[in-house]
Formats: sequence, structure tokens, C-alpha cells
Amino acid sequence: MILKDEMLDSLLTELSKEQIVYVPKQVNGTTRFAPYVSSDKMKLDQVNTVMPPKDLLFPQTQNMYHYGVEKNSGNMFIDPVIESADQILFGVRSCDMRSFDCLDAAFLTKGYIDEFYQAKRDRLTTIAIGCTEVSETCFCESMGQDPNHAPQADIQLRHGEGGYNVTAQTEKGEALLEKFKPFCEEGEVEVADVHCTLNVDASNIKDNLDILHESHELWDSMSYKCLNCGTCTFVCPTCYCFDIDQENRCKEGVRFRCWDSCMFSEYTAMAGGHNPRPEKRDRVRNRFMHKLNYFEDRYGKMLCVGCGRCIEKCPVSLDITVLIDRANELAQAEETEAAHA
Amino acid sequence: MSDITTTLRERARALMEDGTIAAFIGWEAGRFERQTTPLICLDAADTDRLIFDEYCVNTTAKYVRDLKQRGRIGVAVRGCDSRAINRMIEDNQFKREDVYLLGIPCPQMNDRKTGTVLNKCQDCAHRNPVTYDELLGEAMEETAPQDRYARAHLVSGLDRIARQNIFNMAFERCIRCYACRDVCPCCTCRTCFVDQRNVGWLGKQDNLSENRFYGMIRAFHISDRCIECGECERACPMDLPLMAINKKLVEDMNTLFGEYESGMTTDNEDALRSFSKTDLEEFE
Repeated sequence: MILKDEMLDSLLTELSKEQIVYVPKQVNGTTRFAPYVSSDKMKLDQVNTVMPPKDLLFPQTQNMYHYGVEKNSGNMFIDPVIESADQILFGVRSCDMRSFDCLDAAFLTKGYIDEFYQAKRDRLTTIAIGCTEVSETCFCESMGQDPNHAPQADIQLRHGEGGYNVTAQTEKGEALLEKFKPFCEEGEVEVADVHCTLNVDASNIKDNLDILHESHELWDSMSYKCLNCGTCTFVCPTCYCFDIDQENRCKEGVRFRCWDSCMFSEYTAMAGGHNPRPEKRDRVRNRFMHKLNYFEDRYGKMLCVGCGRCIEKCPVSLDITVLIDRANELAQAEETEAAHA
Repeated sequence: MSDITTTLRERARALMEDGTIAAFIGWEAGRFERQTTPLICLDAADTDRLIFDEYCVNTTAKYVRDLKQRGRIGVAVRGCDSRAINRMIEDNQFKREDVYLLGIPCPQMNDRKTGTVLNKCQDCAHRNPVTYDELLGEAMEETAPQDRYARAHLVSGLDRIARQNIFNMAFERCIRCYACRDVCPCCTCRTCFVDQRNVGWLGKQDNLSENRFYGMIRAFHISDRCIECGECERACPMDLPLMAINKKLVEDMNTLFGEYESGMTTDNEDALRSFSKTDLEEFE
């Protein structure tokens, strides 16, 4: 089924009647997924938005409950806030689709269901677009993704000359496809596959980091230049750490959770002043170990999808692919040494 | 440019080998074309990786703080780096004898994607290092920027509402990663007000009011010390026009307390930390 380019706006306008449709676009000086408005130009040719779509499911600041004391009765109250709405995420790329697998694993498996996340997740429909170009920092293929196809998406689009091939991949997708039909025609456009230009060998990275988890040579050299800002964690589609805090006004308040970053020294600060990760080396190590080793251990997948945002935005160009290369090198050297010993 | 790279490597290596310095801070090539990244040499062999070209966008002086316990630290400095060093000496982060400075007159740095001069370098008034132990290459003739406060025009001269709109637009997209603070050579507080959680100056929620509070307090806090290097704006992943705010404050400092440039020496009298009978009394 083909969706012609010129029909795209009509389709999105139709879809927007019943749900909020998030599309990649320029908003206030940056690019992110934001509600579709027919007059706003979308950034569908853009490789990746600056901000990932994770805030649709896991907002940077999310209210959890209101509490307080009622004025007249003096009774205490606690009102949970669980926000949820039917949402469509349109134009998401394979890497960001994969990031939802990671978030799902963290928030919905291992015996605990995060209801705030689930309420949003259950009502999300995803329409992925295969990449038509790659940025120099894209390395999703090295992390096991296919830039042309996102198997998790409800509907997959692929752009070719004049239009998109439309394929439903899930039941949810089949249902939404009915809405597509009036705007589509039979047939298929020819599409061309793209491939990442940045490739690293991440096939053994978990095992290699098992060997190197205490390697000063690796972690010292990788962390010297880190500033310990939170840029990499906040632009990351899979970083899911949060902190819980509250805001009080007179006799009322709201408890909220907000993104936190393992790059901040405060992240591990304990009551009484002890900090188990006192140096930036400890924090850098934790971030990369979590991405490439601990998460794999616990959930059987990498917590890095290869979107390249951290590489693009790091103020000091600290590059996860350089770390992977370096770790492979050092692990190999260590193995050779062990064999000789 | 390549001869500067060669001299830089030679001198850094010699200084490490003869024990003058314990570490050297410069730049090395990144993974991508025209990309560089800060390099910290702890071993004489590391100095072979040093480079200097027109894409060395990072101001690296702040790393001295992390390394100073190792001994004397060598730093490759341009105008901005040397002013950052002076600034940190004045703020008691380390002493002049703790650093050995290899000065490099700066050709102005370029944006690796567009190849044009970086925003932060466009109104630079001091391309030659203002302090150094050795100068590599010939000092260049300084060209005063046409308008030191060009960036401030984004907000100066506007009425309150228009100005507020600009600040709101900017801080609405702030993600509070604190890259601006972490890269800033003036931001050397032992505990930043942001991290004083128990005092509660700043809420952790990301919203306009908290973001604006963070950005403005930081700007005011460095207003008489900002060395105008523009690193905060370059580091910002959300492209906030931070230098418009900083330059406006620098302009105000100059108007209110007289001609002043931070980081040019180590014995400046910072406007907000010194008293003069001639200070303007606006509230008479």
C-alpha cells in the first residue's frame, strides 16, 4: 500500500482528530517530537531529533500525586495523578523504537509494573519510518538494529520516490491501518536501503567489560575529559533513571519524579555525606557499564541503541564508540597476555 | 598550523621528560573529520597525539583543577584559555606556579560542520594568550571586535515584556544538564547552589520557572567574572543563547563600574567583590 507524499498532511490531520499525533519537528530552537499541527513543517528528512521520544512515556518531570490538608474539614488527602491519553508517535526511527524495548524492560518486567509508565505505554501507537539517510554519528547497526526497518513498530513506513510503503506489523497497527486506507492506493514504491557509516564491533563488549570492569587503564583514560554534565543521559533515548521530590505550597503539595543523571555527583550522595561514586571515573564507568554490561546481564539486551545523540551532543566529544573500540583492544591484549602466562 | 602541532608536541614531551610538568592538557583528533577532543597527557608518549588546528573548539583550562594534585600541569593556552587560567588563579583554584603555559596565538576556531568561524570566536578581542611561559609561534596583531556587546543586542534595548519572552523561550527548552556550569571556568564553587538540595534553592523539576531561576542566578553569579569565552553557549545541547545574557551583564558591569575585562590579570578588582566610593549610586 502506498501513501503518496501529498496525502500525508490529510492523513495526519485525520489521525489528529481522535488522538494526539507526535511528529518530529522544530520547536522553539530545537528538534523533538511534538503534536502535529498542519501549518508546522515536519522534519521527516532529519536523521534524529535532538531530544528522543522517551518523554512521551517518561516525561522529564511527571507528577505522581497531590497531597495536603483540606481547609474546612482538616482531613488529609492524597490524590494519585496517572496521566494517560491515546497517542500516536509518527516518524520514529528504528533506534528510538528499540529504546522502547529497553524502557519496557526496565519499567514493566522483573516483577514490578510502573503504573505511570504503563498507563502511557498501553495507549501509544507507533508509526516508524525507515531511515533514508544516516548521520555520521549513527551506529545502530553495530548495536543490532536495522535503520530501514523497526520490527517493534505498529506500522512501518518506508519512503521511496513520491511516497511511503505502508505495512502494519501488529494488531494495533492493523486497526489503525483502516484509517490509512482512504488516503492510500494499491502498489509499492521502490525503496533503497541505507547503512550506517560508523561501525564498531559490539558483539563481545559485554564479556570484554566483564574482564575490564576494574581496568584503570580503560576507565581513567576514558573519564579524564568528562565534565560530569548530564547531557549524554538527558539526550539518551534509553536512560531511565529518575529522582522523586516534592514541591510544597502552604498545606498542599505535589510529589513528582524527574529525570536524574548518574553523571551528577549528587545522584549517589547518601544521607550523612558518604558518596559511593566519589570520582568522575566512577560515574563514567557506571554509565558505560550500565549501558553495555549490567543491563545486558539483567535484561538480556544492551541499553544502547546506537542513535548517536550522546556522541553528537557531548561538549567534550566523549564517544561511546571509541570506548567500545578501546575496550575490545584492551580485552584482547589482556587475553593474549593471559594465554602467554 | 602543522608546525604549531610539531612544536607543541616537542615542547610538551620535553617538559614531561625533564620533570617540569606532571601532565599536559591539549587536544587530539577525534573520530570524525575535523573533530578534536581534549587530551590529557599523563605520559610523555601521549604527547605524540597532541594536535593544534582551527577545530580545537574546547577551552580546556578547567581540567587543571582535576589534575593539580599530580604536580605542575602544562596547558596549551590561547587567549580564552589563558584568561580562564587567570580567572581560576584569582578564584584561588590553584597558583600561577602550579601551571606551565605554552601559549599559542589563536587563528580563531571553526565550526566543524559549517567550516565557518565559531560563534564564540567571532567577537574575540584577545586571540594571543594574555599570560604564558613560552609562546609557540608569532604573536598576532589583535583586531578589536566591532562591537564587544553585539550578542547582548538580542536582549538589550527591549522592553521588559519582550525581554522576558526571549528568556522564556530559551529556558523553556533548557534540560538542566548543567553543561554550561560544568564547562565554565568561573563556576568553581565547591558546592553549587543547585546541588544544595537540603537548602532547597532550586527544585529538581524541569519547568520554566526553575530553569529560568537556574540560568539567571548562574549568569548573575558570574557576571563580574565572566571571561566571555562563550564555552557555555557552545556546550549547550539545546542551543540556548546564553552569551546574550552574559554579554548583557558584562556590558552592565562596564557601564556601572568602569572599563573592565575579567581574566586579563590575576589581580583584578572584581566589581561585585570590591568597594569604591565612586561606585554609581542608582538609588539616591
